[in-house]
Amino acid sequence: MSESTTLQNDVSLESSVPEGGASLESILCTEELQRRPSRPPDHEKENRALVKLVSALADSPSTIFHTLAETIEDITQCDSAGLSLLTRDGKTPHVDGQRFYWPAICGMWNPHVGGGTPRNFGPCGDVLDQNRTLLFTHFERRYPYLMPVSPAAEECLLVPFYVNGKAVGTIWGIMHSDRRKFDAEDDRVMASLGKFASSAYQAWMHIEELKVEVAEREMAEAEVRELAKGLEAKIRRLVEANAVGIMMFNLDGAITEANAAFLHMVQFDHDDLASGRVRWADLTPTEWRARDERALIEIKATGAVQPYEKEYFRKDGIRVPVMVGGALFEGTPSAGVAFVLDLTEQKRAQEKLEDARRALHATQAELARVTRLTTMGELGASIAHEVNQPLTAVTNNSSACLRLLANGNLDPEVLRQALEEIVADATRASAVISRIRAFIKKAPTEMYELDINNVIREVLALADHELQNNQVSLECHLSETLPHVRADRVQMQQVLLNLIMNAAEAMTGTQPRTLSLDSGTDESGNVLVAVRDSGTGFGSEVDRLFTPFFTTKGNGMGMGLPISRSLIESHGGRLWATANSPQGAVFSFTLPASGESHS
Amino acid sequence: MTAASLVFVIDDDPSVRSSLKFLLSTVGLQVDSSESANGFLHKKRPDVPSCLVLDIRLPGLSGIDFQRELAARNICIPIVFLTGHGDIPMSVRAIKAGAVEFLTKPFRDQDLLDAVHVALDRDRARRKQESELADIRQRFDSLSSREQEVISMVVGGMLNKQIAAELGTAESTVKVQRSRAMEKMQAESLAHLIKMMQKLQLPSEKAS
Repeated sequence: MSESTTLQNDVSLESSVPEGGASLESILCTEELQRRPSRPPDHEKENRALVKLVSALADSPSTIFHTLAETIEDITQCDSAGLSLLTRDGKTPHVDGQRFYWPAICGMWNPHVGGGTPRNFGPCGDVLDQNRTLLFTHFERRYPYLMPVSPAAEECLLVPFYVNGKAVGTIWGIMHSDRRKFDAEDDRVMASLGKFASSAYQAWMHIEELKVEVAEREMAEAEVRELAKGLEAKIRRLVEANAVGIMMFNLDGAITEANAAFLHMVQFDHDDLASGRVRWADLTPTEWRARDERALIEIKATGAVQPYEKEYFRKDGIRVPVMVGGALFEGTPSAGVAFVLDLTEQKRAQEKLEDARRALHATQAELARVTRLTTMGELGASIAHEVNQPLTAVTNNSSACLRLLANGNLDPEVLRQALEEIVADATRASAVISRIRAFIKKAPTEMYELDINNVIREVLALADHELQNNQVSLECHLSETLPHVRADRVQMQQVLLNLIMNAAEAMTGTQPRTLSLDSGTDESGNVLVAVRDSGTGFGSEVDRLFTPFFTTKGNGMGMGLPISRSLIESHGGRLWATANSPQGAVFSFTLPASGESHS
Repeated sequence: MTAASLVFVIDDDPSVRSSLKFLLSTVGLQVDSSESANGFLHKKRPDVPSCLVLDIRLPGLSGIDFQRELAARNICIPIVFLTGHGDIPMSVRAIKAGAVEFLTKPFRDQDLLDAVHVALDRDRARRKQESELADIRQRFDSLSSREQEVISMVVGGMLNKQIAAELGTAESTVKVQRSRAMEKMQAESLAHLIKMMQKLQLPSEKAS
């Protein structure tokens, strides 16, 4: 104790330290514990400390390690107390870590928080290897890297603790002088705190995992990032707002004491509690009883129960999702203290996250759909170019041959060459067309039961902007009692979008501009959809409307209507055009009603 | 048709290029084809009536941009545009900028040949006009400065007497200079002289 503790914060974690001078046996004196005169147990102090620890666990899990160190220091009256946890990166716990770090230290070694020791050559490693409590004296004689850590440890009592059967760390107390020696009572108390350390570890990890989970979601989904942040904030707020319930219970089902947070959670008041009406056994829905049974077995065997999720009934009968963990009091093994975390907010946040995720997927699907819809249009220009090039060459070569032939001037060699080129270009044109066909086929048909009215509404939403731009007024007469059809949603959207866009274009420059969409059934019970416009109509061109590459539009491909018709026909329906009165066109199609009846 | 004319074809598609050449050759036209605008610009263009058959969709420069580029370089050549995809706004712009015709691929052979002939006629007319002008200028330049002065005043409507007074010389001298100038200008009449002088757009002296 003579030296000041002004050493560097981080003790070397070099794991390849050569064997120190002293043997392991020479620095151990565990057996002495039983021989030393032992002080009497102070159950009252111990229970108080335990309650304080459980409260701390509920209120501020992030500082739970520090609170645990304080408790060790307080109960064993030692000079330094702390935890060592296995880690990989030197600052976060990890069960497969290859060294220990010190997340919390109270007392004289406090300046060394954050330091640590190697897994395979150090006191903590020895404790985990031997899987029991060990008492060391002057361990720096064997582990030279502890030499500069001051003040030196006269005695150090180390207790391993486990999570899910795996040792993850130690808790320890140190005497820096011989003013007091550890005894059997310290051994017992430390063992009890060791059990608690496990809960503390898990609670802390639980919070950390939530943080990690949130972080991962943030990375994966930029769109739901805001929400995920909200979730993290909610959890933090939950913890900080003292929204954690604490209750004293006994194993027969009673709740003897509870804080306001718990009562609020289950909507009871202090009078209910005083009357003994509030029993945890009664608050638990039937299907959670078995889980409670398992918890009881665990708590009886180990003195503590790992936090688990369940539900409680509130006074009004509504269920509240919670997380419960607890420990039995030393000395009165039929009673204990439990913390109860209200998970309602968390569940709700998770649901919102799910909603956001679903919305994201829906948006992506929508995007893919719109892309497919517009691809045909974009293809238009490129199809025209790619097909027109070889066709131009074919036409030119043929015309040239015909001219020479008419002049009686055609050299057979010239003719042969021209014909070869004609054949090559015709082949090229058909290759382009089969490429396009393959491309179009790439989107597989997906047949589902559909309400065509929904498809109409979706397409109107897509076309809305265009219709507004063209100052088209819209009238919809959609039958409420329409049978479903079995169809590919995207193809139906393509057909409708095509008809609607055609109608809008046919009305540029005319007055009035009215687009009307009707749905209903025809006399055979087929679903009938009609798209009417008040545009220029088609006069004598009506016969050629569905001929491929026929177009009346300046920039039209002449493919929209033929494709639409073949899509409708592949669904077993018909698509035709008639004149509208007093002006414009009506494009109608039918689709066979599916077996499923309308809603 | 005069054999001494040349049709330039620019299209990035070799089949289209060669078929155009074949088609144009059947009416006795000479064709020089390039696959890009740059290829055309780097060619030596012989001094004969010519026109350009140009695909609007060129690699690198668009046909319309190329049309503008030619104007900027002061290259006057009539253009027949070809397009794979009828685009009305684009064709309007092309025609406004002086294109002869705008044909959508594939086109009727006669439409192309007609367009090419119109383009060549237009170029021929332009060339004729330009060479006439050059002729007139040459003749005018061969006059003495006094003769130039005299006929400028004649075209301005002054009488010989007035001119003599203006120049401070005898009327007979003006008469001699005037008839010599008319002869050098190969003017058949006063009206002919006035027409030629108008083409030169020289400022004529006004009678005072």
